[in-house]
Amino acid sequence: MMPSVHLEHYLIVAALLFAIGAYGALARRNAVAVLMGVELMLNAANINFVAFWRYIEPARLEGQIFVLIIITVAAAEAAVGLALVLNIYRTFGTAEIDRVNTLKG
Amino acid sequence: MTPHVELALFIVISATVLVSAVAVVAARNLVRAAFWLLPCFLGVAGVFVLLGAHFLAAIQVLIYVGAIMLLLLFVLMLTRDVSGATAAPNNRQAGWAIIAAGVLAAVTIGVVSRYQWQAGAAKPSASTAEVGEALLRTYLLPFEIASVLLLAAMVGAIVIARSDPNE
Repeated sequence: MMPSVHLEHYLIVAALLFAIGAYGALARRNAVAVLMGVELMLNAANINFVAFWRYIEPARLEGQIFVLIIITVAAAEAAVGLALVLNIYRTFGTAEIDRVNTLKG
Repeated sequence: MTPHVELALFIVISATVLVSAVAVVAARNLVRAAFWLLPCFLGVAGVFVLLGAHFLAAIQVLIYVGAIMLLLLFVLMLTRDVSGATAAPNNRQAGWAIIAAGVLAAVTIGVVSRYQWQAGAAKPSASTAEVGEALLRTYLLPFEIASVLLLAAMVGAIVIARSDPNE
């Protein structure tokens, strides 16, 4: 058998990256670190999209377009999310989300 | 590119991505974690190059490495004392989070490796010109919606992050 890279290999790498990002998003205390975990998960999803595009339907470009839109949404999410973190820091004096547990500041 | 070279590149790049991702979620100092994002995002750009999506690799470097990582670093430095490591970087659910992430990875990898994919080797890829063509013809509406979303996010971020509305 020829030693070459198959679709499964990319999917496994993406699954591992997603799990690592999910751990980061669940376990971190700092809100910025939680956002880092979310970014890792989005990257894993992007790897999946591009791998499926390349191995299954390379003639149709939906896979790449989807990744472009996801990167745009990730940029928007980072901008708004980090603005919220800044505001939370000003209000509560901390960016650790388990100490931000009241609705009324 | 011969299959052996491709396989070697794939192993090196995916090991870089996974090791630096682990460092991102495990580093006690959050500024170090943010810097570990750099090899991780560059590695994902390398995966895109391996898959033949060159335009996406360039966008990945520009947006993730150039913009998102920088934004994360800025906010980290604005919101905490960067010199000293805090008491505990993880919350009380960290043990459960490891179990949840492990189960997630095991189930996903199990399903992915058992399913018989109807895909052989990689097929020839489309060029950047075709991607641009598709983006401005077939997928013009999602493209415009994304630009409106970016505008809304920009205005929203400025309004939310403004220190005092009465100034």
